[in-house]
Amino acid sequence: MGAFSLIWPLLFTLIPLSTFIAISWALFNHALPWQFTWVWVAALDVELAFRVDGLSALMLLMITGIGLAVFVYTGGYLADHPARKRAYLLLTLFLIAMAGSVTADHLLVLFMFWEGTSLLSFLLVGFYHERESSRKSAQQSLLVTGSGGLILLAGFILLGEAVGSYRLSGIIATLPDIPQTHTLHLAMLLILVGAFTKSAQIPFHFWLPNAMSAPTPVSAYLHSATMVKLGVYLLARLDPGFGDWVIWELLLKGVGSVTAAWGMILTLRERDLKRILAWSTVATLGTLVVLVGLRSENASVAVGLLLLAHALYKAPLFFVAGNIDHCTGTRQLDRLGGLRRQMPWTALAALLAAASMAGLPLSFGFVAKEVIMDAKSAGDVFLFARIANTVFGIIAVAVAGTTAIRVFWLHPPAEAIHKVHECGPALLMPPLILALVGIGLGIFPFMAQDLIAAAAAAMHPSMVDQPLNLSLNLQSAWAALGMSLLLGTLVFLLWDKLHIGLEWMDARLGRISVVSVYERSLDWIPLVAAAITRRLQHGILPVYVATLLGSVTFVLGAGLWLGRTDTVWPAWEAPSAGVVSACCLIILGAIATALIRDRLVLLLANGLIGYGSAILFLFLGSPDLAYTQFTVETIFVIVVAAILLKLKRLEMGNSVAEPRWRPMAALLAATVASVLTLLLLMVYGATFNPQLSEYFGHNSVVAAHGRNVVNVILVDFRAMDTLGEISVVMLSLLAALPLLRALRLKPAGGQA
Amino acid sequence: MKPRVVILLVVAKPLYWLILLVSVWVLLRGHHEPGGGFIGGLIAVSATVLWAVAHNTTAARHRLPLRDPVWLAASGVLLALLSGVPGWLSGQAYLTHLWLSVLPAWPDLSVSTVMLFDAGVYLGVWGALSGYSLALLAVDENGQENGEEHGRDR
Repeated sequence: MGAFSLIWPLLFTLIPLSTFIAISWALFNHALPWQFTWVWVAALDVELAFRVDGLSALMLLMITGIGLAVFVYTGGYLADHPARKRAYLLLTLFLIAMAGSVTADHLLVLFMFWEGTSLLSFLLVGFYHERESSRKSAQQSLLVTGSGGLILLAGFILLGEAVGSYRLSGIIATLPDIPQTHTLHLAMLLILVGAFTKSAQIPFHFWLPNAMSAPTPVSAYLHSATMVKLGVYLLARLDPGFGDWVIWELLLKGVGSVTAAWGMILTLRERDLKRILAWSTVATLGTLVVLVGLRSENASVAVGLLLLAHALYKAPLFFVAGNIDHCTGTRQLDRLGGLRRQMPWTALAALLAAASMAGLPLSFGFVAKEVIMDAKSAGDVFLFARIANTVFGIIAVAVAGTTAIRVFWLHPPAEAIHKVHECGPALLMPPLILALVGIGLGIFPFMAQDLIAAAAAAMHPSMVDQPLNLSLNLQSAWAALGMSLLLGTLVFLLWDKLHIGLEWMDARLGRISVVSVYERSLDWIPLVAAAITRRLQHGILPVYVATLLGSVTFVLGAGLWLGRTDTVWPAWEAPSAGVVSACCLIILGAIATALIRDRLVLLLANGLIGYGSAILFLFLGSPDLAYTQFTVETIFVIVVAAILLKLKRLEMGNSVAEPRWRPMAALLAATVASVLTLLLLMVYGATFNPQLSEYFGHNSVVAAHGRNVVNVILVDFRAMDTLGEISVVMLSLLAALPLLRALRLKPAGGQA
Repeated sequence: MKPRVVILLVVAKPLYWLILLVSVWVLLRGHHEPGGGFIGGLIAVSATVLWAVAHNTTAARHRLPLRDPVWLAASGVLLALLSGVPGWLSGQAYLTHLWLSVLPAWPDLSVSTVMLFDAGVYLGVWGALSGYSLALLAVDENGQENGEEHGRDR
């Protein structure tokens, strides 16, 4: 059993492992960018175009590298979960969707993978689908990111049509040279909304902390290291194109700054370790958006550094939170403390990762922080962004202290849990190794130099030929760090006091917050839908029929009036006996249907009309149609008769209890009939274009070896349509069967 | 208990096979004379409906090939889907049909992917419309039979 349960995790883990090695190897041996293109939908000019440049390569390495850690961790975290295979399958699909998103060079292909990540995020957040909170969070994340994706699609289409190409690399190259039209502005705004929803920027920030009901490896992977960075990735990718636009710059800086500061302040409100980390992720994403908005070259380097550094410290911190949850059963700050004795290795990983988050020297976070400060001291940053950045830095220190020091070193509170054990190697290796990589890159930053330089060059094309020199510079940053460290420690010590204050504020502001607006609008949807349904689906069959016939006649009549042509009354020719008898049958059936009240007889009279039409078809030269009509009519009568008999047995009325004379119904019938007659007369008057029937008649035997033209059209010339039709018929049966089954069981139960 | 008509019960069996035979004949002649998969399938449905009226829907369902309308319909769609593959593999557009003469002396007798396609339509229509008809006809059968049958369906 033990060996068997290891096979699947190992097999799945091979996927990120092999792709990580392959990408690293390829990066080492081949120059960027790489391009691949396959024709997909040639008629629409959609190609599966992929392009890997420095930025894509950085994202790919993060996706597969962090993915490797996540896959290993999942093996330990969900060791006893029956649906572990599902988690692995979804994570693998997510990895593919992510890799596709960051390499796609065609807007529509990018959109497809982008929505794929939203969908998989929905499925992964709802992994514990038996819990209501999970389902709600999953729905929320899908509604926000999924509808953001649709807005993004609208933006992509506008952009593609305005520029005249859907190739991302081409659009970015041409954008600076074309005039800034209103269409382009609208496209840009829509794309911004799409990217902001994905990267949880204000006012779409609320879904990310709620997505924490996902299993911890999922939170570490999707909601901190990769998927939420997709929005930032898209902004960074488009920045060379839109970078000179004032609105673009203002929006990125403004929204990013607000998100960075507000996200960090909301961090203090939380008591749950994972939610604390989630809010700080929101804030980091805000900082990244600001950095994309800055124009200087240093800012582009800073984006690359922060992307990597954040993945390397936040994923281990999530793993640490997961370990604590796994081994103590809680993530609540109030119940945790003094865990360093029982969980020494987790404590070490937490300490190393937190050092990077706080930006302490000799960590990769420090390198990132240094470059960010450089970038922000350039002239084009307004004061607000600087304040936001300071708040961000201070609280980052406090969060790092809380996750690493408070739960491991401070004394446990009175109600703390005592039955604690250290986790297994599958839960310890991923955070330790990732945190160690973070420290290693902090001591030897030049190892990441080429990668970051290539990524920055993708965001800032003028940097292509400039070598980047990342080295350890301890003196300059100490001063700036000193203040944020000091204030951060202060916030860390006052955490509980600040928490109470924020709770008080939250209670006051709760009603106008974005979340409550979202909740209320969600409540409205079923209400409106119910109101509409009650109006339209009243269950009165005669009114349904009247509505259908009336609206069809109206539309048809209006169409005829607008496109009216001369009506031609056909010349009189003596009909054959067959046609006359068929018409007599139809007229007889119609009159009988109008007069008869007993339902079964009514059905038979109705059948007469069908048989009459079939005979008419037979004599007018379409035997195929006649056969079909005969068979369908027969089956229909038998089936409906069975239902009527059932109704009779249930004593639900034997005859139609309606007045014999209904003027409105007669009027409606007369209108339908006259509009149809009018239509026929106009059709008769129009000149007939024989091109198609001549083609089919001519080619039926020559090209398709069949003399029955109708059948040849069905199975050969239009075979694709027929295939679609039989598939639809089959699918409709699949959908109808459960309903019909319910119908059959209900009266049976009622009788008993 | 539903009243049974003796004459119908006796006649049902030969008639069932006769109708099926006719339906296959209509299917096969379809390419040159009036007929084809759609009509043939519909005629086959009428045979199934006849059996359901004479006996009951469960018996009619078990008379179907594969003993289940959904599977029958699915196999038909699958057959039609597959019939396009040979043409596609030979480098033409998907669903381009191929012909193969069996006897050079009798050029009218040929096998082709068109026939497979039409047979797929036949099975698809037979399965799908039988499914509808049987489910609707079952409304008129009494409760005990249904419960038993419902259990078997699962």
